[in-house]
Amino acid sequence: MKSLRGMTITEAFKQFFLLVIAGSFFVGYSAYSHHSNAMFDQQRVVELSGTIKEFQFTNPHTWVQLMVEDDTGKTVEWSLEWGSPNNLGRQGIRPSTFPPGADVMIKTYPMKDGSPGGLFIGARFADGQTIGRWE
Amino acid sequence: MASKTKNRLTAFLLGCSCFCITYVSAQELPDWSGVWAMNGGTIFDLDTKTGEGGSTTPGVREHPPYNQEFEAKYQANLDLRDAGVFPDPNSYCGIPTGYPRLMNLPDVYEFAVTDKQVWILTENGPNVLRIYTDGREHPSAIDRWPTHTGDSIGHWEGDTLVFDTLSLHSSESGNTIIDRTGLILSDAAHIVTRMAINDEGLMEAQMTIEDAKALVSPWVVTKRFRRLEEGSRVYDYACNENNRNPIDPNTGWTYTIGPDGQIMDINPGQ
Repeated sequence: MKSLRGMTITEAFKQFFLLVIAGSFFVGYSAYSHHSNAMFDQQRVVELSGTIKEFQFTNPHTWVQLMVEDDTGKTVEWSLEWGSPNNLGRQGIRPSTFPPGADVMIKTYPMKDGSPGGLFIGARFADGQTIGRWE
Repeated sequence: MASKTKNRLTAFLLGCSCFCITYVSAQELPDWSGVWAMNGGTIFDLDTKTGEGGSTTPGVREHPPYNQEFEAKYQANLDLRDAGVFPDPNSYCGIPTGYPRLMNLPDVYEFAVTDKQVWILTENGPNVLRIYTDGREHPSAIDRWPTHTGDSIGHWEGDTLVFDTLSLHSSESGNTIIDRTGLILSDAAHIVTRMAINDEGLMEAQMTIEDAKALVSPWVVTKRFRRLEEGSRVYDYACNENNRNPIDPNTGWTYTIGPDGQIMDINPGQ
């Protein structure tokens, strides 16, 4: 499990347990922003497959930076906005949740204008571990 | 020797009585310790809400007892909200949230009770509402001026804190709003808040808002907060730390900063 690399079994179990709790919580999760979400198309879900470049665990929002290969074979960096590190931290999400280099699928409400960005919904790692809302 | 013993005994009894007075005084105040989170979304007045969704959802609104002038102003704000360009002061980062909006925030709260003041501490912002319970009065009219949190004086009625807040910024100054549907008040707002833990263990804050310039009758709004599990922590909130969402000062549109540090999206209003 990518985010559990280097942990003891107890630590890994604890991390997994926290993520399960976080996953359950996000079933009804509605992201609060300090700004308008008018730039996101919340009627449409886009599924991306890519590699984590960086997880910015910062205020006022966390950002998942994902490298995605487009239809022409060009690699594009997507910026996926999520909740505050404070609330996510209390729900078990950690800076290590999205380790650089990890392959992951991400669901997002995309930017209306087609820019490579969106509002984070959920993620699924290759081993089946899910983060956030993933139905 | 007898005199020394008597003195020691007197000092001991004096110490005991001081301790007892302090102890009893502290015991009289309720235990509001821990970390709390608001129940419900950031719609300020859930009791008068119409429409489905949150404060940024087009069509959702509340129904304060506004006079005609302020109802028209609220309607204009709702139209801006529906277009996604309502100017929320919090979006710019760095401006205190102010009262009563600070009772309507995501993230978490602490309610710090001391014998002379109560502090409402909000993680989001962060904000501090200071409520003086030491018997002082509001400053006279000439000695006060509008601020984000105004001036709050309070007293205890059993386990209920009752406090009176005035001298608040007008929403029309652009400094403050109540929620992102566009609820506003004038600088005549006067709020009496009653706070206590209810039978369900929720912190309940009932605000009775009077505003001679904006409302035709008192507006009563109740917010509730649940205590998070013991050991929960409160973290720094620094809105400018990595704010990748600047606001267009001309149109109110919220942009997104891309990985190269440049604005990545197009303002549909331009």
